[in-house]
Amino acid sequence: MTKAFFGLPEQVVFCKRCVISNQRPNSTVEFKNIKDEKKATINFDENEVCDACHYQDTKATNIDWKKREDALNRLFDLHRSDNGDYDIVVPGSGGKDSAFASHVLKYKYGMNPLTVTWAPHKYTEIGWKNFENWIHEGGLDNMLFTPNGKLHQYLTKEAFTNLLHPFQPFIVGQRIIGPMMAAKFNIKLVMYGENQAEYGNNSDENYIPTMDRKFFSVDDPMDIMLGGKSIRDIISETDFKLNDFKPYIPPTADYLESKGVEVHYLGYYLPWDPQECYYYATEHTGFQSNSERTEGTYSKYSSIDDKIDMFHYLTTLVKFGIGRATYDAAQEIRNNKITREEGIQLVRKFDEEFPKKYFKDFLKYISVTESEFYSILDEFRSPHLWEKRDGEWVLKHAVWHNQERLK
Amino acid sequence: MQNTRVIARLDIKGPNLIKGIHLEGLRVLGDPHDFAKKYYIEGIDELVYIDIVASLYGRSKLTEIVKNAAKDVFVPMTVGGGIRSVEDVRDLLRAGADKVAISTAAVENPDLIRDVSRFFGSQCMVLSLEAKKQPDSMWEVYTNSGRERTNLNAIDWAKQAEELGAGEILLTSIDAEGTRKGFDLDLIKAITDAVTIPVIASGGMGKAQDLIDAVTIGGVKAVAMADILHYGRDSILDIKNTMHENNIPVRLSHE
Amino acid sequence: MSNLVTVLDYGVGNILSVARGFEAVGASVNVTTTVEGIENAQRLILPGVGAFAAGMTELKKNHLDSAIIKLAHSGVPLLGICLGMQFLMDSSEEFGETAGLGLIPGKVLPIPPNSHDGDSLIVPHIGWSGLELSGDKKNWDNSILVNTPVHSDVYFVHSFFSQPNNQDHQLAHCVYGGNSLSAVICKENVMGCQFHPEKSGLIGLNILRTFLSI
Repeated sequence: MTKAFFGLPEQVVFCKRCVISNQRPNSTVEFKNIKDEKKATINFDENEVCDACHYQDTKATNIDWKKREDALNRLFDLHRSDNGDYDIVVPGSGGKDSAFASHVLKYKYGMNPLTVTWAPHKYTEIGWKNFENWIHEGGLDNMLFTPNGKLHQYLTKEAFTNLLHPFQPFIVGQRIIGPMMAAKFNIKLVMYGENQAEYGNNSDENYIPTMDRKFFSVDDPMDIMLGGKSIRDIISETDFKLNDFKPYIPPTADYLESKGVEVHYLGYYLPWDPQECYYYATEHTGFQSNSERTEGTYSKYSSIDDKIDMFHYLTTLVKFGIGRATYDAAQEIRNNKITREEGIQLVRKFDEEFPKKYFKDFLKYISVTESEFYSILDEFRSPHLWEKRDGEWVLKHAVWHNQERLK
Repeated sequence: MQNTRVIARLDIKGPNLIKGIHLEGLRVLGDPHDFAKKYYIEGIDELVYIDIVASLYGRSKLTEIVKNAAKDVFVPMTVGGGIRSVEDVRDLLRAGADKVAISTAAVENPDLIRDVSRFFGSQCMVLSLEAKKQPDSMWEVYTNSGRERTNLNAIDWAKQAEELGAGEILLTSIDAEGTRKGFDLDLIKAITDAVTIPVIASGGMGKAQDLIDAVTIGGVKAVAMADILHYGRDSILDIKNTMHENNIPVRLSHE
Repeated sequence: MSNLVTVLDYGVGNILSVARGFEAVGASVNVTTTVEGIENAQRLILPGVGAFAAGMTELKKNHLDSAIIKLAHSGVPLLGICLGMQFLMDSSEEFGETAGLGLIPGKVLPIPPNSHDGDSLIVPHIGWSGLELSGDKKNWDNSILVNTPVHSDVYFVHSFFSQPNNQDHQLAHCVYGGNSLSAVICKENVMGCQFHPEKSGLIGLNILRTFLSI
């Protein structure tokens, strides 16, 4: 019996309704993320149906959306400013989801949002265009926060090397910036788009409109883990000082509470549909899908603003055996946009596509050579997922195995 | 001047009629047969069915849809999506299609155009050309429902297709489609200037005036529309009346 | 009057649409591929889309051509549609000279590449054009067009057209780039429509219905 890395389930199972596998990791408290951490994964029931699919059923039948929207309106009535001050922070990048959330909050619900962006590692052209359109065509105020590139690159490299999770520092910072700015501006509400629980995080989280405190509590900043190392260790090994780490140190839950900051998810109050966000964004904030397909998937409008983005999904593929096409297809199957059959074909066709376009950019960004890149990748290939055949790494399990071979 | 043809374009996925913006974000709208019948009764001149996942599956699933349509719809039908061979064409024609639209397979194997027009006649061979404007102001041809780039210049490709025997060009602007902001008139004019076969403009129609521009400025003989009809934003009768008022000859049915 | 119509399937053309069109106007449709089927027909439809030479080759293959000619000579109503109408002629100039069925004297010619104004004409002729009275005809009484209003738009898609030697054999034409292209021809019981009545909406269906009463 092969020993599965990261404490992942030994047996690989694919959801009978969508295409996700039971290897899909739930969101972690990133600043505690260390190399040998056992990953919590998406839950499957005894019929091999995943929690995210179940949640979609619930969305369709068990939730009183009128009641939820009433709750949203009450929340807004409580916080809507009457003197022109900002009354809500919407973190986002101008992608379809945050474009929808921010615009609808301002123009339908009459709030006064300040959008806050944690800059992508490296903007793509379409990403920058959509960002500008969001602000200038959508008609929104924005604060773009760009962390010190020297540290960010160092952390990204460490995260890649130690965790095969290059996006880890980004995720830490991105999650902090909204609440942090809210506290600084004395704005009490922070509103994200959808709850990650939609994708299978602990399903209990779907019934709470607000973000868990666990993402904010921290005792000693020096213990915060970034790139698999504690800040204390990084400081002792490099020239970086504690000052440099400001953007990565979350405000404590107590501090946020004292400022009255609450973090909410719009996806709790309104039925969330990423494709409808696309339509809304195209019509109201000048959002444009990319002109070409994103490598590793079939879609052209999801997460297109960061050149490094593909490598988040590539590393996900290596660690968990599922890539970007799987994630996109699973979401669309659950939202009844495509059938499972189509999803399987899409995964077969695109999931393992190597992101060539920005490969050189990525290597340069993290100062890693091509051969180092491949050997690091290989260290994280769990034997329960990968095997070598004729010198090539091949997935032992894929959702399209045993499917009818189409011409 | 010849009657300008008003054509309804139905993008199909599996059993459903769908519609997107820039060929992305595909919304399910319903049973294509219901829409087709409605348009026929309201006086549409032609129907175009495109199966947009056919390339993915490596086969077209349109024969059933066309067979059914043939029972209730008595205007010409063009069918496209995943057509790769002369056999595919034969099957579709026998199922009730009058013309076939080929995109991806023609780019991969231009001789297919020659073979289809040889076997079934040029008038049956429609080149489906999806184009996107590039920063250098030229238009590039895309395949696989606007997902893959080809590095082909749209104008050159259109000319080549005509030489190989294509009888018509269904020209779609990826930039304009689904936006309702009007056609890409520059693209249309560039193609109509380059070929002598009929060109059908597709992508971007938001109101009747857009059609008039496509004909008078772009020079096309036929216009395909989807969003405006599927979402009920305008009716075929109103569109045709507006054309008539603007001295554009169009078939007005007295049915 | 019999409502039984036989449609010849010789491997070329949109048989299904023709069959459906006739069914929509109340006919019983029998699709045949054989000489026997032709011989037993009470009304025969000869459809066709594509190339003249290839089509004639298919007809000759199983002696379908002689069966059609024999049937026509026996007085059974015969309707050729599109390429089917072109077959009724003596010959065609598409891809070199090929012999047709010779049921209506005349030739099949390419649509001229220029309009009367000298501008280049888009070929194939694809689209809806009106039916006009040909020659010195005042009306279409006693013909397949008796129920069709003059100028009615019908759907054409062709690069070639039939030119009967005898003007009287041409009932209707359409005008394309100033050129007169024959649209409906008739010699006794043998008729042809260059356009597609099964694709011309209600006007077209009415023509099919009228054929059933001839």
